[in-house]
Amino acid sequence: MIADFKGRDVVSAKDFKRAQLEELFRAVDDLEKHHGSLEGALKGKLVALLFFEPSTRTYSTFQIAARNLGMKVSGFSDAGGTSVSKGETLHDTIRMFEGYGTDCFVIRHKRMGAARFAAKIADVPVINAGDGSREHPTQAMTDLYSIRKAFGRIDGLKVGILGDLRYGRTASSLVYALSNYDVEISFIAPESLQIRPEVEHFLNERGVTAKKETELDKVIGGLDVLYVTRIQKERIPDPTDFERVRGKYEVNLEALKDAKPSLKILHPLPRVDELSPDVDATNYARYFTQAAAGLPLRMVLFTYVLGGVS
Amino acid sequence: MLVRKIEQGTVVDHIPDWKSGLVAQVLRLNRLAMLGADVSVAILQNVASKQLVRKDIIKIDRWHVDESEADIVCLIFPSITINYIKEWKVSKYEPRVPDVIEGRIRCPEVQCISNAEREPVSPEFVTWKKNRILQCRYCDTLLSFDRIPDYVKS
Repeated sequence: MIADFKGRDVVSAKDFKRAQLEELFRAVDDLEKHHGSLEGALKGKLVALLFFEPSTRTYSTFQIAARNLGMKVSGFSDAGGTSVSKGETLHDTIRMFEGYGTDCFVIRHKRMGAARFAAKIADVPVINAGDGSREHPTQAMTDLYSIRKAFGRIDGLKVGILGDLRYGRTASSLVYALSNYDVEISFIAPESLQIRPEVEHFLNERGVTAKKETELDKVIGGLDVLYVTRIQKERIPDPTDFERVRGKYEVNLEALKDAKPSLKILHPLPRVDELSPDVDATNYARYFTQAAAGLPLRMVLFTYVLGGVS
Repeated sequence: MLVRKIEQGTVVDHIPDWKSGLVAQVLRLNRLAMLGADVSVAILQNVASKQLVRKDIIKIDRWHVDESEADIVCLIFPSITINYIKEWKVSKYEPRVPDVIEGRIRCPEVQCISNAEREPVSPEFVTWKKNRILQCRYCDTLLSFDRIPDYVKS
C-alpha cells in the first residue's frame, strides 16, 4: 500500500481510494504515538515549496514537516519579489527548480488546475497545496484524519459542510475524500454559494447522495460533524445581502443550542467571524486539534511519496 | 433549391434547422477565406427533410473537414451526418466520440490554468457522453455539448 504512494502526485482528493487513506491514517497514528520516529527519514532530499499565493499556515506546516524529516527546503511563501512577480510562468519556474535537483514540489497557485499542469511538467512528485478555488487535498486528508480520530470511525456519520461551498477548495476536497465512506452529507449554504456542478457530478457518478440546505438550524440537530468555512464578503456583491447571509451561517452558542452533545466542529482555519471564540471552550471544538494534525499527516505523506520508509 | 453535386469535398448534412451558422463556426470555415483556399461553400438553411422535417446543409467544395472537427460537430448535434466526396463517390464518415478533446475548445473557467497567458498549456477535456458534457482535465469545470460553439477556439 505504501508503494501506491511512491512517486505519486497528490493533486486531487479524487485520486485516492479508501484503503490508501486508511493506510496513511494508520501511519499518522503511529507517528503521533512515537514522536521523532521519522526524524531524518528523508535526509538529503530537496523539496521546493512554491507558494504563488501568500500563505502562512500551510506553508509553515509543509516547511516544518520537511525539516523534521531532514529535508532541504527551497522556494518561496509569496511570489512578490521573485521573478514570478516579473512575469515568469509556472512552467518555467518548475523547470528551473527541477534543474536545481528538486525531489518534490509543493505548490499553491491562484489558478485552478495549476497543480495538475505542474504535475504534467515535472518529472518528480507534485503536492497540491491549493489551486485557486478547486482543491486542497492534503487539507482534506487532515480533515478526514481528524474526524476519524474524534469518532474512531468515519462510516455512518452525518457530516454537514457549511459556508462558501462554491469557492471553497477545502469543501470540495473534503467531499471527494468523504465519498470513499458511507456517510450522509449535507451542504449548508446560500443558493449562490452551493456546491459546484462538477462536485455534484462526481457524487452522482459515485452514487453518493447529498442534501442541500440553506438553513443551519434545520439540520444541526442531526449532525455528527459540522465543517465550517468562511463566506467571503466579495462573493456576495450586495452588502445588505451579505449581512443577512452572514448572520444565518454564523456558528455560535446560540446556533448550537439544538446540536447533539457529541457534535464535533471542524474548520480549516483561519477563521474570521463565522465561528465564534465562545465555541472554543466547548466539547464541540476540534479545529485546533485538526490544525495540529496537519503536521504529522504531511510528514507521513512526504515519506510515502518520496519512499523514505520501508 | 438546387445545389449541384460536388466532385471532391465534404457535405455536412442533417444539421438542425438554422444551426448551420454554429456548425460553420465550429468548423472554422471563416479561415478558408484567410487561407485563400480555392474552395466554395454552399449553406442551405431550413430546407425540407424526411428525417428532421427541416434541416440545414453545408457543402464544402474541394475541402476535407478534418475528422477530429467532424467528431466535435457530431457531439454537439447528434443528427449530423458527414459525407466525404472523392471523385464523385460518397463515403459516409462514422464519427467517434473522442475520450479526450485537446486544443480546440477553450475552458469556460476564466481562472483555469489553461487560460493563463504565456503558459504553454493546451486545454484538454474529457468526454462524458451519457451526460452530454465535457470536463476540463485541469480545473474540472463542466461544459455541456450545447455550449461548445461558444468556446471553440478560432
